[in-house]
Amino acid sequence: MKSYHDIAGDGGSNIAEQVEAGREKIARALSGVRHRVAVGSGKGGVGKSTLTRALASALSARGLAVAILDADLNGPTQARMSGLRGAVPLPGPDGLTLPRSRDGVRVFSVGELIPESQALEFASVASGDAHTWRATKEFALLGDLLGSIAWGRLDVLFFDLPPGAERTAQFADFLGDETSLVLVTLPSEISRGVVARSLAAVPDAKQRLAGYVENMSGYFCADCGEVKPLFPESGEVPLDLPLLGRVPFDPALARACDRGVSLSELPASAATRALEGVAERLVQFLETPR
Amino acid sequence: MKFLCVPCDKPMTMMSVSPPDRGSLSVVYGCPECGYEMAMLTNAHETQMVSSLGVKVGSSEAVEAGAKKCPFSAMIAPAAEETASGVRWTAEASARMESVPEFVRPMARTGIERFAEESGYREIDLKVLDEARARFGM
Repeated sequence: MKSYHDIAGDGGSNIAEQVEAGREKIARALSGVRHRVAVGSGKGGVGKSTLTRALASALSARGLAVAILDADLNGPTQARMSGLRGAVPLPGPDGLTLPRSRDGVRVFSVGELIPESQALEFASVASGDAHTWRATKEFALLGDLLGSIAWGRLDVLFFDLPPGAERTAQFADFLGDETSLVLVTLPSEISRGVVARSLAAVPDAKQRLAGYVENMSGYFCADCGEVKPLFPESGEVPLDLPLLGRVPFDPALARACDRGVSLSELPASAATRALEGVAERLVQFLETPR
Repeated sequence: MKFLCVPCDKPMTMMSVSPPDRGSLSVVYGCPECGYEMAMLTNAHETQMVSSLGVKVGSSEAVEAGAKKCPFSAMIAPAAEETASGVRWTAEASARMESVPEFVRPMARTGIERFAEESGYREIDLKVLDEARARFGM
């Protein structure tokens, strides 16, 4: 009797071919993108989205063509930060066309499509077991988006990743080794420990890692103009990675994110200067042949 | 997944896929040698796992063959659709919407229909779609 491997093809289900066709569609859609950068961290609340938004704004101000894909489908923030809530992507002749923020960054975020009071739901025929298939569904959806959006010619496409060490590893795998990684941490030992664990979960991280950013690295006091410590530093969790920069916490920057005001519209401060420095080092990394 | 007709030792070929019914797919296979037919009936979990990959079981011909079993299917796709607000979509404009990922489509449709109504258009064609994109700076 014949075995599985004696029979050519996949039995007519056509699933393998469709998966392959999906990959090819993504490759075609991204063929005009020079650099892909995923901003992640195992830890939540460290400022991944703020950093993504600020870097995109800084690079756009330098004349680069930049876009952001908010890959955090369940906790999207880029629509608000970009001032694009309710700005729906529309179909063009070459694919889905994205709305553009005031500073010229094209953005896809689920926050453009559904209000903040609403959660993203997937239609299901197997109710009650969402945990078994949800991740697969999310990655299929992200693949669909990547292949359907008319990215055109881009210098940098940023991916704002959801939190979680395992999610960082999954996304690193999904986005492939052409995507560089930027990790974000707080100065706290707990945060650095989780980031170190995230790094360990990505097998080829060392080759793809642009570096890490220490966010909320002190508090910028507008009254005295000084940066004061927010977290005690013990140095117990060393991160053996290139440091792209330390960004102090600045309430003005937090307010700007809430209101969709871009980095280039803010007056210069210790935080904006630090973010410009991170952008400069990121560009250097991207333009260095590997 | 492949099916083998054991008496003939021949791989069975997929003949049709019926649309999901309460979470279950019916996929019919036949043996090209003896003509024996059998159906694979999936449970909701199996259907969900496949659909989570963003794919459909079967070649487009097999899916179409299953759909053609409905005698009315050819009658429910008019050249232009009319929305609740009375704005009509031309077939070309509807076809362009097919390239939009499914979960984005309802919001994109609503946005375009709102633009069409505000601009006084009664019909949405490719020109209106391009005009909407231009209006929103895309």
